[in-house]
Amino acid sequence: MTIRRKGALAILAAALTLAVAACGGGAQSAAGGDGSGPITIGAWIPLSGAQAASGVPQMEGAKAYFSWLNDNGGINGRQVNWIVKDNAYDPQQTVQAARALVGQDGVVAIVNANGVAPSEAAFPFVLDQSKIPIVDHYGGVATWYDPPRPLLFGTQTLYEDQAAAMAQWAVESGARKLVVVHDDPKAFADVAAQIGPAAARTDAAATTTAVPVKLGTTDFAPAVSQVKALGGDAVMLILPAPEAAAYLKAAQLQGVTLPAYGYAPLASNTVVTLAGPAAENFRAVSLVRAPSDPSPAMAQFREVMAKYASGQPADYSTLLGYANAAVFAEVAKTIQGPVTAESIAEAYRNATAVETGVAPTMSFSADRHVGTRDVQRVTVQGGQWTAVGDFVSAPDRS
Amino acid sequence: MDHLFLVVVSGIASGAVYGLLGLGLVIIYRATDVVNFALASMATLAVYVALTVVNRGLGVWAGLLAAVLVAVVVGLIVREVLLRPLGTGRLFAALVMTMGVSLVVEATVADVWGTEPRAFPPLVEGRVTIGSAALATQDLVVIGVSAVAMLAVGWLFTRTTLGSAMRAAAESATTAQIIGVPAQKVARIAWALGLGLAALASVLYVPKVGLAPMVLSAPLFRAFAGIFLGGLTSMHGAVIGGVTIGVLENLAASYVSANFRDTFVFVLTVLILLLRPQGLFGTRSFERV
Repeated sequence: MTIRRKGALAILAAALTLAVAACGGGAQSAAGGDGSGPITIGAWIPLSGAQAASGVPQMEGAKAYFSWLNDNGGINGRQVNWIVKDNAYDPQQTVQAARALVGQDGVVAIVNANGVAPSEAAFPFVLDQSKIPIVDHYGGVATWYDPPRPLLFGTQTLYEDQAAAMAQWAVESGARKLVVVHDDPKAFADVAAQIGPAAARTDAAATTTAVPVKLGTTDFAPAVSQVKALGGDAVMLILPAPEAAAYLKAAQLQGVTLPAYGYAPLASNTVVTLAGPAAENFRAVSLVRAPSDPSPAMAQFREVMAKYASGQPADYSTLLGYANAAVFAEVAKTIQGPVTAESIAEAYRNATAVETGVAPTMSFSADRHVGTRDVQRVTVQGGQWTAVGDFVSAPDRS
Repeated sequence: MDHLFLVVVSGIASGAVYGLLGLGLVIIYRATDVVNFALASMATLAVYVALTVVNRGLGVWAGLLAAVLVAVVVGLIVREVLLRPLGTGRLFAALVMTMGVSLVVEATVADVWGTEPRAFPPLVEGRVTIGSAALATQDLVVIGVSAVAMLAVGWLFTRTTLGSAMRAAAESATTAQIIGVPAQKVARIAWALGLGLAALASVLYVPKVGLAPMVLSAPLFRAFAGIFLGGLTSMHGAVIGGVTIGVLENLAASYVSANFRDTFVFVLTVLILLLRPQGLFGTRSFERV
């Protein structure tokens, strides 16, 4: 009887230990905080499922950067231990990943996580309960940063600003009648809705007409036929990359030669690969420099990828992960003293003119938690993305 | 008018792919009582092998042949190793097994070939212009191949001894065995035929959208809608159902609303099934109680 009671107590104790671990230790107990050991940070990224196409290269790009960083002194002499969990773009798995990262691995920040809706599911636990900052998220929405949340910082120009920037570019290039082909879910429609006002602010005579298509459309013949009938000056695409490629191929087939513009997700190798010659002259706004850019920082990116991730191409997908990792390193280097959740958040609030050479210059403040509103204009020339000028700021949307 | 023509013909081409996949599903279901949810992922695996063949400079037709061969071999292995030991009448166990196989194959494909979408060349390049509308020659090939496949399968099932044996096995494997029909052999042929058709459909489909590990998820969903619309037990119903779904979704997107494209298509499908539960071409079956 005693033995049985002792056994039950042991099981209870083990269960309590596991429960405490799963609930997370909070910011104070997070690893990497005091001494000279590694700075432990983490991320949830879709490494399986449909979204793995962006998640895997993003992870490889960031991993390559951190490997290079660790071989070159780390952050103020401290190594970076970046732990990645597969969230399969699933909210439930993301929450589990967050609990493991915070509770078991003791991360001091979530860096370079991926998945807008899945991440939102983890916000209450990570941001509110555990007080762990989430920084340099891959993608995001305007409502995350307006009003700013104390521990959430972004490094990518918002989709809404990307749409405004591509509208400005089209109007500056002479287009007055814009046809916006966008997927029907609200997330796409809201971004597409920014094109009209931005175009009108650039030139009051500019007009837009929307051609919504169903998410997952593979047959773009009907949409292209509608675009043809509308007779616009330019086509603005707010679609996932495979759909944009399908649109470009259908447009070429139907002889529609209107210049086409895309937002940042379309500045990708997927569009060029899948659309082939139909992608020629396609224009997009990018969050980072063109992977083929001859600048020293971009040359270093290509060298780092070749050395630390030889199986992965030095393209947009890997560059986005690499750039986010680089921003974190630059901000974390400004921390004097222990690297904790609090000091990381404080460093981001105070970070100005953060230069990585691969992404726009970032500046944050207590009121501004997205580091940039800049985009790089790029176009496909000879089957390769080529920069058009330098980074430009998105027009004001207010 | 050109717009309507384009919408309809393009819809037929998309629907033909759904129809071929549906035909593969129906053949396997009729012969073995297995709803094969792994059909699409096994066909995707076959297309990745085909891409490897194409990238080695052997041409897209050699790729097609490789895809069909790989799909048939993988299908037979799955059938013999995983499903046959379950025995007959284990509908739900087989269903779960094929779902599991689908997940494993998808993960394997992603691991071996990566998750980045890849381009796959069409069987035929070029375009055909009719009025102001242009059609990809590949789309016309898809329609032609699907029509030929449907006719060939129809001929096989109605005009040959093997077809009679397959129909007998579909009605009752036990009874078929008693009268001398080799049920296991028929099942193997059905799986080979079904997977071969799925691989063919996939090779015809991926040039349009690119090759990715889950590229056939949406067409498989529509193929299921097509076979329920056409009749789960009808060969030509599967193809006609698939084509109907393809055309309806294009018409709905163009003339009703892009937002309600799927809603429109599936409401219509549900209404038809309410009026004819056996589908447009299926036969109503009765069971003695």
